[in-house]
Amino acid sequence: MTYNNANPDSFKWVGKRVKRIDAPEKVTGELKYMTDYQFDNMVWGKVLRAEYPHAKINKIDTEGAQKLPGVICVLTHKDIPGFNGFGIVVPDQPVLCSKVVRCTGDAVALVAAETLEIAEQALSLIKVDYEPLEVVADVEFAMSSSAPQLHPDGNIHSHVAIKNGDTKKAFQVADIIVENTFYSPRQMHAFIETEGGWGVMDEQGLITIRCPGQYAYRDRMQIARSLAYNPERIRVISSPIGGAFGGKDEITVQIYLALLAMHTNGRPVKIHYSREESVIAGMKRHPFKVHMKTAAKRDGTLLANEVRAMGDTGAYASLGGAVIALAIEHSCGPYKIPNVDLEGFCIYTNNGIAGAFRGFGVNQVCMGIETHMDMIAEKLGIDPIELRKKNVYHQGEVSSVGHIVKSSVGTFRTLETAEKCDLWKNREKYKAEASEPWKKRGVSLATSFHGIGMGIGLPDYGAASIELLPDGKFLVGVGCEEIGGGNSTVYAQVAAEILNCDISNIQVVQGDTSRTLDGGTVTASRSTYTGGRAVATAAPNMVKMLTETAGEMLNLPLSKIEIETNHLSGGGEKITYQSIYQYLYENRRTTRVEGHFYLPKEKEEIEGSGGAPHHLYGYLTHVVLVEVDTLTGETDVLRVVSIPDAGKVMNRKALKAKQRAEL
Amino acid sequence: MLVSNIEMFSPSSLSECLTYLSQSSKKHKLIAGGTDAAVRMKEGKWRPEIWINIKNLKELRYIEEKDGCIHIGPLTTHTDILRSDLLKRKADVLVEAAREVGATQMQNMGTIGGNIGTASPAGDTIPALYVLGALIEISSLNTKRLVPIEQFFIGPGRTILRENEMITGILIQPQHPNEIGIFQKLGPRKAQSISIVNVAISLKMIEGKHCHGGKIAFGSVGPAIIRAKKCESLLSQGPLTEELIQNIAKVAWKEVLPITDGRATALYRRDMASALLERGLYRLLRRWENR
Repeated sequence: MTYNNANPDSFKWVGKRVKRIDAPEKVTGELKYMTDYQFDNMVWGKVLRAEYPHAKINKIDTEGAQKLPGVICVLTHKDIPGFNGFGIVVPDQPVLCSKVVRCTGDAVALVAAETLEIAEQALSLIKVDYEPLEVVADVEFAMSSSAPQLHPDGNIHSHVAIKNGDTKKAFQVADIIVENTFYSPRQMHAFIETEGGWGVMDEQGLITIRCPGQYAYRDRMQIARSLAYNPERIRVISSPIGGAFGGKDEITVQIYLALLAMHTNGRPVKIHYSREESVIAGMKRHPFKVHMKTAAKRDGTLLANEVRAMGDTGAYASLGGAVIALAIEHSCGPYKIPNVDLEGFCIYTNNGIAGAFRGFGVNQVCMGIETHMDMIAEKLGIDPIELRKKNVYHQGEVSSVGHIVKSSVGTFRTLETAEKCDLWKNREKYKAEASEPWKKRGVSLATSFHGIGMGIGLPDYGAASIELLPDGKFLVGVGCEEIGGGNSTVYAQVAAEILNCDISNIQVVQGDTSRTLDGGTVTASRSTYTGGRAVATAAPNMVKMLTETAGEMLNLPLSKIEIETNHLSGGGEKITYQSIYQYLYENRRTTRVEGHFYLPKEKEEIEGSGGAPHHLYGYLTHVVLVEVDTLTGETDVLRVVSIPDAGKVMNRKALKAKQRAEL
Repeated sequence: MLVSNIEMFSPSSLSECLTYLSQSSKKHKLIAGGTDAAVRMKEGKWRPEIWINIKNLKELRYIEEKDGCIHIGPLTTHTDILRSDLLKRKADVLVEAAREVGATQMQNMGTIGGNIGTASPAGDTIPALYVLGALIEISSLNTKRLVPIEQFFIGPGRTILRENEMITGILIQPQHPNEIGIFQKLGPRKAQSISIVNVAISLKMIEGKHCHGGKIAFGSVGPAIIRAKKCESLLSQGPLTEELIQNIAKVAWKEVLPITDGRATALYRRDMASALLERGLYRLLRRWENR
């Protein structure tokens, strides 16, 4: 057996400009999202939300709703067979509240009815007797002793701290200190497909949940825990997704669907949030308050950074602890600051629930450190790029959080590229070109970085399967969902490259517990890397199976079997994939292989950091031209130069789209 | 009233529609593009016993010039307005206003009659119609009356239309070659937004920066559209230099009576009325000088 593709220069698919395999059906609208489906015998599910942001529940009376014609079932916490809670890290969010409600997004009851209208009417007939309690709407109040305690362990969900050197001393000897507080607001993902899906239970008790999500296996586990149900009897289909950006990482409606499906006599039940409901009950970005104090020497060398960040996770934790930990890990930017004192708090309040959102806490602190870099540059009269170049860490150096950075670091080169770009070089000219007298223009840049994968303490594995199909095509299965970022195309590229076939021979299935292996989440910038490597591990197993089978069919040694484009050959004879399938099928042998991959990790955790450092980081610099209307305050971003340290680009066509999307 | 219990009647001609309106005792509402009506129905605010769907009344969808007047049918969509060469030449401010309505989908479905009938103080086309001196033609089965647009509205969502009447035409004065107009809108976003403040301006120029006078109408800063008559009276006080423009704009806050709502505070709105007027006059003068 010989390999023609060992040299990256001869790659046909990986690193090329490849049209996305999911594009045609998405562009034409042919693709149906889970929430697009309608069934003749379908029933509608609705969720009753809390009336108050914080209140005691004295009584829930569902009688009126039960009696309404067209209502199929009304469920409360009493109808939950298993554990009444969910949450990726700490399951502190009730599926249906029993004693207390902690935010207006809290669910109190579920209804299934013949029509959406009847379901809505039924909600209005459920009488809940509340006793309003004092509301905690601010993180600092939440941390004070006078605030009511929202959870048994208090209002501080998590605390992380990283300390290096001696900041006190550094602040004493510093030539310049800048100190500011940065607020960033709650933000909605506003994906085009609001939370929803459908569930059905068949006569054998098999529950199928079709609901867009970012990790079908974990969703299944959370459903099973609440239903006290064998997870093997639950199938979760979580792809395709009409956008998520982190907002479908946590459970959205999967458990509601499963509970209702147990009470609808085998009829499929659908829930689809209105945009308003998505605003009230969906995950949001954590609002942050970041207090930062940064010190430097006269020559621009950074000396110290002190950070105290508070994230408002709302009523429940979800991934709040991890968000704050990642924020602290990244709070000094990609710089080497010898003295740091960093701490972060994840705080419960009665506000809306916050969880994962693209950037995962890093955006909120990046704004602080990068603003400080500009302020220091201005005060010291140093060019902002020079100041950054002076302080960035390079591969092999020690980062601000105190670990030796072993993997590649692209910051310096992205800064060099920024320095040379037209927008930066000619920024004075661009700034002078304001379009109207009351408008002002500015050119600025920021650089940032972001950990890839899960960090220390969380297993980070990928898995893929490849199956030879009767028509000679390959079905690549990866757990990671196609969230819209184009990972399906990457998986197909990797498989096509190694199998030496055209990409049209590859089909990809994702996010289905009955058809794909558990390969972890589609989050943390991990799915291309981890899933792609898993496919690359599975594909040689498929090549081995193909060549061995061909050798057997032709009665030739493996050395005589050639892998050619779209087929194999040996002894002058052509062996098609179909014929190999046929042979395996007739001999009752498997046509499926698997591949598993484990993402490399750092060995030692920085004490108290909650998972830092990461083994890999991505780096990025942006140069931006903005124009502000000083009459109205309206701001226009006129031009952006995006300079990612993208590493090995898997699909050049997707890179451009991805950079645009990131803006 | 449940949505599923609401009836719908789709007349096939204007006379059939007016006959129905004169005879029916049911609580009704007209629906054309539905860009407001459907939303309010979902919100539970508009739940009539019967919808009268006038979308099919093609005879009410036209733009034409006759007898020295531009006639616009109430079922003319915002997109129709945007694409009309006649309006581009002789009612530029209305075209600009139509371009700022919601976004393309809304412009394709929404009608000018609906924008007027909904009577929102934030309706984008209404200030433009004010400065174009629009008359609203109101018909019932047996009567027809022409009402100046400034007399049409009673308050937010309320008009002088009687139960048996509907809007059957909009008449505007075509602009002369020395008349120019502009529409400025400030919304929370660039598209899909309802105005925080908007302003329509129409000026009658003489030459250079001199003007005979003009009309200025603000939207979303009062219970109805507000004509800024003090500002208008200053337009002909001298050449419209940057200084005079700024002075006129400063007067604007005295004319408006905004409230605080989900989109903006009263204070911000008041300041922005001046800002939009300054911006609009400046841009209009630029356009006049570069014509």
